[in-house]
Amino acid sequence: MPVIEASDVSKSFGATTVLQGVSLNVEEGEFFGLFGPNGAGKTTLLRVLTGQLMQDTGTVFTAGVPNTEPIRLKQRVGIVPEAETPPTFLTAQETLELTCMIRGLDDVQSRIERWVRFFDLKEKRDILCRDLSKGERQKVMLAAAFIHEPKLLLLDEPFINLDPIYQRRVREYLQGVAVEGRTVFMCTHILEIAERLCDTVAVIHRGRIVEQGRLADISRGGDLEEVFLRAVEGGAVA
Amino acid sequence: MGQSLSLRLFKAMMKEEWRLHQSLVGPLGSGLFPAMIFVFTAFLAVVTPLLLSRMPTATILLMLHAASVAYGLFVGNFGSIGEHVMTRRLGQVSMVMQMPQTYPVSFRRMMAVFYAKDAVFYLLYSYIPLTLGIAVAAPMAGASFTGVAMLGLTTFLAFMVGMGLSFTLSAVSVRSRMAGLSLYMVLTGVVAMIHPMGIIGPECLMPSLGYWASKNPQGIGVSVAASIILASMGVTLMKEKYEIRQSRYSDSLLGVDRLLGFMGGLSTLVAKEWIEVRRSGALGPVVFSFSGHLLAVYLMSWVFERGVGVDLGFNVVFYSGFVGFMGVMTYSFITNLEHNEYLNVQPVSVDQVVKGKLAVYFALTAGVTALYVVGLGAVKHQMGLVPLGLLLAAATSVYVVGVTSYLTGLWTNTMFFDAGIILKFCVAVVPPLIVAEIAALIMPIMPAATYAVVAVSVILLLASVPILRGLERKWADASFSFVNTGQ
Repeated sequence: MPVIEASDVSKSFGATTVLQGVSLNVEEGEFFGLFGPNGAGKTTLLRVLTGQLMQDTGTVFTAGVPNTEPIRLKQRVGIVPEAETPPTFLTAQETLELTCMIRGLDDVQSRIERWVRFFDLKEKRDILCRDLSKGERQKVMLAAAFIHEPKLLLLDEPFINLDPIYQRRVREYLQGVAVEGRTVFMCTHILEIAERLCDTVAVIHRGRIVEQGRLADISRGGDLEEVFLRAVEGGAVA
Repeated sequence: MGQSLSLRLFKAMMKEEWRLHQSLVGPLGSGLFPAMIFVFTAFLAVVTPLLLSRMPTATILLMLHAASVAYGLFVGNFGSIGEHVMTRRLGQVSMVMQMPQTYPVSFRRMMAVFYAKDAVFYLLYSYIPLTLGIAVAAPMAGASFTGVAMLGLTTFLAFMVGMGLSFTLSAVSVRSRMAGLSLYMVLTGVVAMIHPMGIIGPECLMPSLGYWASKNPQGIGVSVAASIILASMGVTLMKEKYEIRQSRYSDSLLGVDRLLGFMGGLSTLVAKEWIEVRRSGALGPVVFSFSGHLLAVYLMSWVFERGVGVDLGFNVVFYSGFVGFMGVMTYSFITNLEHNEYLNVQPVSVDQVVKGKLAVYFALTAGVTALYVVGLGAVKHQMGLVPLGLLLAAATSVYVVGVTSYLTGLWTNTMFFDAGIILKFCVAVVPPLIVAEIAALIMPIMPAATYAVVAVSVILLLASVPILRGLERKWADASFSFVNTGQ
């Protein structure tokens, strides 16, 4: 059963068309990777899928909710945005508390403890988010997306600014999420990590999905870099 | 090389400023703003002499120049922005100003260019349309076009002095809070020496005003020199390096949320807003600026009464009607504290945060409003009018700030540059306030006008209900990144 169903989605900003007739399905329990060159439309698509932005045409259902109901949709999923922008004047601890309270979660402190331990934020939990490093802010954003253990995670460059230790820790956590039958939708440029994680991939280029399928099927014995270059450069590598 | 770099930076900043306005309010809204200033000023310039025929020219000039200094003081407070720019606290906003972080250009040069850009921008966007507006009324008032041009020049120079003062004060405050506070006290002392002590003339703070006493261009020269000296001082005092401090706070969110439990589903967001106001250091400035603006209304009429030598008969109820207008600035201040981009990925909508900010606005201003009305009642020996004043103050505050939040959401400061929004605001707010103020003024000679004040207050309160309810419909689908992306 698809947890993400996007059908013929198009989006323009003024005269610039960013998405053109994008259709994709992501099945429950899949680890789905979306790749594409800079400016291909990855972040816009993720924002449309999560109800942060409305498409001009087409329909989107995410976690069984149309993206025209963004609050209900966001209640059901965890999102890591492109930029790490936790609240300026709240501490890391308070940011996670705010997230729990907005989502109406119970066991607030035990949930926070888990993620503070996971990201080693104990010494940083009472520092204002504005004063944290970029990596620490990214950890807060990831913890806030994971804290309610959603059935579907939508992540835009989740490994950015993380050092190799935490990249590995997050990677292992996400693998566990997929093993549990939950779904991960990830946009990333780091093809090596994606290759290790994703079952299914799609390549977006100039607002269109130019390649989509199970990684094993579309790689034709090659690696993800070749799939990516072939799709984007129109067979220059293949 | 150096000059050409500054010129290039200046051009880049001008383009940035213009495009920022366009992205927020559209090319039409952006272009209409100076047109609206022109029309509004022309209207006032035609009507004011008829209404205030007894007011001496000197008083009108004093008020115009004082307002320009105040405008400059408000605009020039960007000396403190350096810390935010250099310690990456502007969220996703990326501006030319941030180049010194990564490029071989000094922050002082950047601030000097920014200062020049703001001066030119406000000249083009405010003072030229304002001068042209006054020029329309010149033939009717028997004034020469040269005189109007000189008025435009002297008021702009008053603006520049205010901007320079504010810029220097904020640059000093970033280096040393104590030194900044001392300078603020010196400035307050100078203002007090002008009024009410009357030891020195207002020309000491507004040299360009001196031109009108004797038509001696010396005042203009002094103003130009003062503007340049103050701007140079501000630039020189700017810090090049900022340390990233790590501010630690004990957990407050849960405690405040519990205290606000009576607010139901809104308590968490109100708690967040309240903590942001406190930790951003805005609590004092918000309360003081709100009370300062209210007192300024009273002081201006006091100056006028002294200048003209007649009792205008402004009573407590009349002054109470201004609370809503002053509240707009306070609400705008509160909406500027945080970018809220984080909430884009949480199940929260813009209207909920607007409601949270409104709750904080009312919490911050209710006590000050009550003190103001009761205090005026005591000073003017009109305690009997205090209940009516409180009713009108509450009604205008709820209604005017409600309209503001409906029209501008979380982006009041920038959305008010949209002529269409300003027009809607004026249509919704000005007529009922004029009725209430006229009724308040004629109460002593026509007691039945009291009922008009009560009726307007009740109508404003009732009208506020659908406006506040409409926040959800208006803002539920907006993005918290609206200011950055225009979406």
